[in-house]
Amino acid sequence: MIKPVLSLFLAGLVLLAGCGRAPDSARDAAGGGKRLTVALLPKSKGNAYFISCRAGAEKAARALGVDLLFDGPTDTDPAKQNEIIENWINLGVDVIAAACENREGISTALRKAQARGIKVITYDADALPDARAFFVNQATPEGIGHTLMDEAARLTNAEGEFAVILSTLTASNMQEWLKHIRARLAEKYPRMKLVAVRPCDDQKDKAQTEATTLLSAHPGLRLLMNICSPAVPGAAEAVKQAGKAVRVKVIGLGLPSENRRYVKDGVTDSVILWKTEDLGALAVEAAVALAKGTLQPGATSFRTATGATYEVKGDQILLGQPFIFNRDNIDQFNF
Amino acid sequence: MKAWPRELSVGLALAALLGALAVFAPGFFAGPPLLSLAAREAPVLLVACGAAMVIVCRQIDISSGSQFAVVSVAAGLLAAEGWPPAAVAAAALVLGTTLGALNGLLVAGLGLPSIVVTLATMVTWREGLRWWRQGAFVNLPDGLQWLGLDQTAGQWTLIAAALGLFTLLAIASRHLAAGRHLYAVGSDAEAARLAGIRPAAVTFGAFTLAGALTALAALMNVIQSPQVDPKSGTGLELKAIAAVVVGGVAIAGGRGRLAGVLLGLLLLATVAPALTHLRIEAHWEKAIQGAIILLAVAAERARGRPA
Repeated sequence: MIKPVLSLFLAGLVLLAGCGRAPDSARDAAGGGKRLTVALLPKSKGNAYFISCRAGAEKAARALGVDLLFDGPTDTDPAKQNEIIENWINLGVDVIAAACENREGISTALRKAQARGIKVITYDADALPDARAFFVNQATPEGIGHTLMDEAARLTNAEGEFAVILSTLTASNMQEWLKHIRARLAEKYPRMKLVAVRPCDDQKDKAQTEATTLLSAHPGLRLLMNICSPAVPGAAEAVKQAGKAVRVKVIGLGLPSENRRYVKDGVTDSVILWKTEDLGALAVEAAVALAKGTLQPGATSFRTATGATYEVKGDQILLGQPFIFNRDNIDQFNF
Repeated sequence: MKAWPRELSVGLALAALLGALAVFAPGFFAGPPLLSLAAREAPVLLVACGAAMVIVCRQIDISSGSQFAVVSVAAGLLAAEGWPPAAVAAAALVLGTTLGALNGLLVAGLGLPSIVVTLATMVTWREGLRWWRQGAFVNLPDGLQWLGLDQTAGQWTLIAAALGLFTLLAIASRHLAAGRHLYAVGSDAEAARLAGIRPAAVTFGAFTLAGALTALAALMNVIQSPQVDPKSGTGLELKAIAAVVVGGVAIAGGRGRLAGVLLGLLLLATVAPALTHLRIEAHWEKAIQGAIILLAVAAERARGRPA
């Protein structure tokens, strides 16, 4: 029973792989024409976050007069990402911009692309440094930590108790952000006090329970700062159910779409993220500049064709300070 | 009855913890937040009851957290499609019962080890959900939250429903033939078979009931907020099994009561909020819960039986 099923499965795989091969004419078209071809790889192409990146990328591609290929796994799948890169190598695209699901896994394929003369940059999530020329970094830990802390201070007049809900106490990005939050707090806001740090295991339901407990254990609490995305709506629901929407502010890192109803109800005050369209656009701008040779390793700043200037730190191009979504602007964003 | 000392010791530990809170953090007992916490733990009680049935039957089910997530998302999508709440609930119950029955079929029908079967279904449902939904929240229609009741009435209804069902299950497991068969199969399947009980049917029934209870728990959780997180229920199976073990149900099957499970759950569920109220760092939470489980298993061992 097992064997026929397995062989059918394998046959299917071979067929799929066959379909994935690009015809040679496509390579000629890409290589022979004057227009550059930029291939943009998302972690998953159905995800609203990357769909929004794509919109920005397409705008930039039109402005720069280049062709844009956008393809990725339908779900997050590192093996499929490698397959697509192999495909692009065969197609002979000029430059690849990749958001990497698996840092190590994708690097082999990206190095192979570089060996074939294809320029490579990464955006959103990096590969190993030797597998790409630049990483377009959407937010530094420092930028995130400072923006969160400054926004918390703005909403509370830099006064009173606040608590942090994070995914887990051991996650390295959480630790990194928390470090910068604490540093900013110590440096600038002496009348604010971080009274508790609670994990929610990256679950909205658990965040709701944790926030409920925090509100009753710390009656003086002025603000809940949620630094993983499911915690923002979870904490907001707890604050709403406790009837403390006016007194206790809610902010956090998250997607506008998951928080829209709380922002509109006035429960959640600020949702912090970067503008995904700008990230997609910058990835394409940098990719094109790299392919044309106007962006070289060692640069300290990057001036786009449209005239915007971005800081370059080492081999990372920085998108800049995170963006704050609030009641006034949240309806302009649909991811 | 030899089982009583265990429930007594869990009860004492709980009383000590509550006593410490009464002295050092009386704010814990403030009405509305405590009601909210109880409502949030009510679904876990049903999952723990299901886990207890399965464990009494000398099996294990680690897929309940994934079942919970699948049912939550499915119920949310149907509600968003405009299905009336009663139809959503019926569909969710059918789905949960089917998922439970599938575990039961593979374990009792094919004789596969339950840890392997439910590991497989746990991963399959969870990853399938990830592939299908890409982590997207489901937005529920207005009016589904608290089933249209006001918040306090809704919370009391959930708690009463969970406790009512728990009481029914506790009585049934002790006094109905089907309940006693669970214990018979769990302590000695061969002897049970010779006594005219069909172990496979009983095992199948336990998994199916666990699935139905998990579905009900999922519904009770879904109506507490206006969005469904597809990651909900992650780790729920461990929380339920921990409550069962701490409550004195022998992991080797055949022994234990649901009353102990309720106490075990109350004890474990009080640890996290107690730490927050006592201003103790969250690092200690898992360690303390782990220590409680370890103590429970060691106590079982000390009684001269394999835990």
